[in-house]
Amino acid sequence: MDTEKIPRVLVVDDEKGLRVGTGRLLEMEGFSVKTAENGTEGILLGTREDFDLAIIDMKMPDIDGIEVLRKIRKSKPNTVCFIATAYASYETAIEATRIGAFGYIPKPFSPEELIQQLNKGYSQRLLLLESEKLKKEREENLLELAGEKSRLNAIINAIISGVIVVNKTGEIVYFNHAAIKNLNLDELNIGDRYEEKMPQKVNDLIEEIISSEIKTQKSLAIQIEIIKPNELIAEIICTPVLHPDGSFAGVVLVIRNITEMKKIEIIKSQFISMVAHELKTPVAAVQGFLNILIDDRFNIGYEKQKEYLSRSVVRLSSLLDLVNDLLDISRMETKSKKREIEKLNVPEIIDNCIITLELEIKKKSIRIIRNTLQQECNLFADSNEITRVFTNLLSNAIKYNKDKGSISINIEENKNFIIARIEDTGIGMKPEEKDKLFQEFFRAKNENTRGISGTGLGLTIVRRIIESYHGKMEVESTYGIGTAFTIYLPKSYK
Amino acid sequence: MSIHEKIKKLLIVDDDIDLLEQHKMLMESKGFKVVTAESGKQGYDVFLNEKPDAAIVDLIMEESDSGFVLCHRIKRTEYGKKIPVFMLTSATYETGFKFSAATDEEKEWIKCDGIINKPVVVEELLQKLENFYSK
Repeated sequence: MDTEKIPRVLVVDDEKGLRVGTGRLLEMEGFSVKTAENGTEGILLGTREDFDLAIIDMKMPDIDGIEVLRKIRKSKPNTVCFIATAYASYETAIEATRIGAFGYIPKPFSPEELIQQLNKGYSQRLLLLESEKLKKEREENLLELAGEKSRLNAIINAIISGVIVVNKTGEIVYFNHAAIKNLNLDELNIGDRYEEKMPQKVNDLIEEIISSEIKTQKSLAIQIEIIKPNELIAEIICTPVLHPDGSFAGVVLVIRNITEMKKIEIIKSQFISMVAHELKTPVAAVQGFLNILIDDRFNIGYEKQKEYLSRSVVRLSSLLDLVNDLLDISRMETKSKKREIEKLNVPEIIDNCIITLELEIKKKSIRIIRNTLQQECNLFADSNEITRVFTNLLSNAIKYNKDKGSISINIEENKNFIIARIEDTGIGMKPEEKDKLFQEFFRAKNENTRGISGTGLGLTIVRRIIESYHGKMEVESTYGIGTAFTIYLPKSYK
Repeated sequence: MSIHEKIKKLLIVDDDIDLLEQHKMLMESKGFKVVTAESGKQGYDVFLNEKPDAAIVDLIMEESDSGFVLCHRIKRTEYGKKIPVFMLTSATYETGFKFSAATDEEKEWIKCDGIINKPVVVEELLQKLENFYSK
């Protein structure tokens, strides 16, 4: 018997003498006893408290012992119950054990007989408690496991990359919502065959992993245009999943939406193509002239030689301008050059720009009209960058102007911005030309622009500088009349 | 058979006047009569008026696809279908423009008989013109 714990016994008997006598006997033997004097009280006590043992009289005036036993067993299945009755019979014993009595004690019983039975019952009780404890522990473990699983589910469903797990027989055994989205699938179900759901190129990768002889942790990746053209591009990485013993379990697919990244890549590569073209053309022109000059078969005169050399020089200097513009753009993109923010006076910067462009202004006899009311218009910015903005705009206003045309410059300020407007009386732009104005390397080509050189990057640089200061630029143009650029530059630098 | 029996007059269209002049000189030195144009639009007019025996067309002129358009317009005429038309460009695979005229299908799509890189290597151009007639 458990010495640390006192076994608690419920005695249910309508016969007072027996009830009290049994109680006293058991207390003497080290049991703790509660008694009930009828069936109703027995059920009440037996279902309320978890007794270790119960001795239930079979025949009671209100509710019979079998019913009491049934109720107690139902409520407290680990209470070990005995049926006691004077009407001993084989049938009642069978009936009692069938509904869960542990033993049958025929009345009258000797104290030794009773104690022996109860001790046996108590061992059973301890066994029951132990197994219940184990069961509970196991259930708790399972609960924890289920919690872990749902937490994992929540995490995998929250990530924006798609995840699909395919087992070694090719069934989809796990997936998250992003997988459906990133592959643009109608639906996906556990148990689906991967080859019925995945794009062919992905099937090939999965097939390659599943069928390969040697399984390594090496991933295979592919980029697929899911919705053309360039609407949805996904990168799919397939990685074999191995058990701890190295045996093959399946394939995990991670599906990333790389559409935006790809779009930027496409723009970049288009830009590089354009740059390559723009660089190659003047080189080809210079090379062509030199080839003619060096070739004795072309017997061109001295004047023609001089002409070709000076035309080569023109092409080379425009090539140099282009390289410089490209370097500027590259510096802006990588932000490799540190900005030196200082207080600048815009009218003064414009005056300096005009001085550097004086030669071109004189060549075309262009009149500069300043409408600036005040002499001071300050903003905080990098002097080189703001100078570049006005040099490019003024240089365009000169290049695309008519001979003896004019450029009017107006500078105003409001609470937040310096507003500069540069208006020319030049050739203007057709609406379709205006639309392409900020495209890299776009230069309007028509009968009026012949002979005007440029890199096609000037306004790109202007726009990038202005945008980097969170300013904006507006363009108005009428074909044959002129063009006006208005720029808004924030006065303070954030 | 000399290529000169097939091609007497050559049309070159390029908006880069330096390259145009150089190519004209080079081809004249090889014994061809050369007519020129400086835009796609002008190129088509010269093609119709001069009826050249071959045409070399720059790709990027007033528009980035002016050369394509001109090739299509030339090849749409009965006369244009019979003569070799070559696209002249520095924008090929190396520069990222994804087109070529290596296969018949591509030639049909671009509507030209081949692509010639800038700057033009005369021997290469002559070879290509000869290949056109020997096929």
